[in-house]
Amino acid sequence: MTAEPTDPVIATTDLTKIYGDTTAVEDISFEVHPNEIFALVGPNGAGKTTTVEILECLRTPTSGVARVLGYEVGEESRAIKQRIGVVPQSFHTFDRLTVRENVTLARQMYENGRDPGAVLTQLDLSEYAGTRFADLSGGYQRRTGIAMALVSDPDVLFLDEPTTGLDPAARRSTWEQIERLTELGTTVVLTTHYMEEVEELADRAALLVDGEIVAVDTVADLVETYGGDVKLVVSPADDNHAELEASLRSIATDVYQDDTGNLVGIFDDRYDAQEAFGQLLDIDGEHSIELTGAGMEDVFLQLAGGTLGSGGELQ
Amino acid sequence: MTRIWPLLVALSKNWLRNREAVFFAFLFPVILLLIFSAVFGAGASEFTLYVQNNDHGADGDPTNLSTSFVDALEDVEALQVRSIESGRNITDWSRQRGSAGAARVVIIPDGFADQVRAGSRQARRSVILDTISRAGDQINQTNRASIRQGANATVNGTNATGPAKIRFLSASDDQAAPAIRGVLSSVVAQFNSIAIGVETPPTTIESEDLGHRNVEGVDYYLPALIAAVVMINGLITLPALLAEFRGDGTLKRLTATPLRKRDWILANVLQQSGLALLITGVMVVVAHLAFEVTVIPGPLAIGLILLGAITFTGFGMTLGSLVDGSDAATSLGMAIALPMMFVSGVFWELDLMPEYLQTVATLTPVYHFHRGLRQLMVLDTTHGVGLPFAILGIGALLALVVSVRVTQWRDL
Repeated sequence: MTAEPTDPVIATTDLTKIYGDTTAVEDISFEVHPNEIFALVGPNGAGKTTTVEILECLRTPTSGVARVLGYEVGEESRAIKQRIGVVPQSFHTFDRLTVRENVTLARQMYENGRDPGAVLTQLDLSEYAGTRFADLSGGYQRRTGIAMALVSDPDVLFLDEPTTGLDPAARRSTWEQIERLTELGTTVVLTTHYMEEVEELADRAALLVDGEIVAVDTVADLVETYGGDVKLVVSPADDNHAELEASLRSIATDVYQDDTGNLVGIFDDRYDAQEAFGQLLDIDGEHSIELTGAGMEDVFLQLAGGTLGSGGELQ
Repeated sequence: MTRIWPLLVALSKNWLRNREAVFFAFLFPVILLLIFSAVFGAGASEFTLYVQNNDHGADGDPTNLSTSFVDALEDVEALQVRSIESGRNITDWSRQRGSAGAARVVIIPDGFADQVRAGSRQARRSVILDTISRAGDQINQTNRASIRQGANATVNGTNATGPAKIRFLSASDDQAAPAIRGVLSSVVAQFNSIAIGVETPPTTIESEDLGHRNVEGVDYYLPALIAAVVMINGLITLPALLAEFRGDGTLKRLTATPLRKRDWILANVLQQSGLALLITGVMVVVAHLAFEVTVIPGPLAIGLILLGAITFTGFGMTLGSLVDGSDAATSLGMAIALPMMFVSGVFWELDLMPEYLQTVATLTPVYHFHRGLRQLMVLDTTHGVGLPFAILGIGALLALVVSVRVTQWRDL
């Protein structure tokens, strides 16, 4: 049975995967809607990769049900594989084949798909079409992986840690490529431990901790619900203290002075804080302003009890 | 099936662009073929034999008999005879020679000719006396006494000091010494026969070719090295690449596509089979260019090569699926393939090995592989190839079944 256009592209119910004595994921249920970017967020070992690999038909669930594009994982894996694109974590392909040869090979694995040359152009890879995979930088290797996943013109694209290990410029470039995909009607499921990536890309996100989903919602609602207060901390100069405080009080729900003499304004949301930020900048005098709180970092801190290090470890 | 061909092309390109794989698949066997064929295939081996002739006549020249003996040694194909100055101290000569290789020396003593003549007369007398005693009543008593008197007269005045003694000196660890001693004994026996007047020895050895053609070293090594390199590719290079594909995620990427496991295995088997035929072609051409050997593998030989390729590819895929890491896969492959290669007679005839190792060799598939190939490619006969076909056929089937069982397509 295939999915109707309005049906969830992905739906899992009580999905569990156990390796020996270790439970990788336990009773997780979520849906991914058509044409959205959905992020599975969590620290290393939270079960993100296990979850997407079950959906990619690379792993067999211990229990529970997962459906992709209306097909049941395990029972109808070949039908699913025909319509999904996968960029695994630590993506690699044939080292001694060129970018074009690898993308062409990927195309030939599917019944239908796109012209490899067009995909290379779309991903700004034409210049490297004749370069062997082993000779590419990490960013272009990852981009080759995305090209190999897109050449089958998938309905759903799975990106497992798509920017891990990339430098900031390559990460930004990859984000731009991913954002373009939804314009073409592709649903994207990505795993990441970068909160900035979630805020930048994802429409909705599920937070995974110790194999369980602790929250799933739109990114905005997650921040709204679990992000806590948005604060502006202002270090006033002697001559503009009163003017700064008045400006803060005009928008903030509360204003107080902390132990170091800084003015702290509490806001309902980030938009109010940003408006106040603009007003404070217009006030004369030497003062510094810092916007804190209410991002996915705060959501994660609230729900997981820690922050994520650069390597994805829970701190 | 439509996915197999592009995958086969990709695997082949990836292989042929791998310098190490190309070296071990093509250059390595070609180098071995050239070296082994040149070293062991340049006709019969020759042993250097030094001769010191101390038997000189009154004029100071070597006596005719001692010269004849040296000539007889020079006529032996297996010997390369060189002379040592008469009267020279052999111990000093050997010491000065240093480490120039094992020295084998024959010393013809002074008085050799006189002793041979005396011995010859004694021998002729014994023959005459033996003949008249065997004749019985056919010779009357008078004639018998007359003949005996005449025979005894031939030895009167000769010094009966026993046979002329030629000394053969060799190093105690010289493994070729027994063979050379045998050749010397043969020459001496023939010399003795002529000395007592036996022109035609009552027993001789007649040699004939057993095979269909004159088999040289390259004929031995060509099929053996084809079999060996097919095994090396299957058991060493392939598992290393497969373990690398598993380790770096290349295989996982492929399993996420609609490609089936059976297509993956079949593409690898086909790639290795094609590679085996390509290697065979290269080796045959090199053998022809370097040694003027014309061997064109027929359908049966090609069939056997393909069976060998399937067998070793199947086992190689099994190793590559079980072992983590390319280095570990290479080590394990070498641990299996190299002993098998040395024991199975790839580099030397089994007759040179202890009997128990010859038994071990018959238990290895590569032994039957190269024996079968030799029958088909070199000796141009199907005699005895049933067993190699049966063993490699069963091996191929078994290897494929095992590789299908152990190759993981999920939960990598």
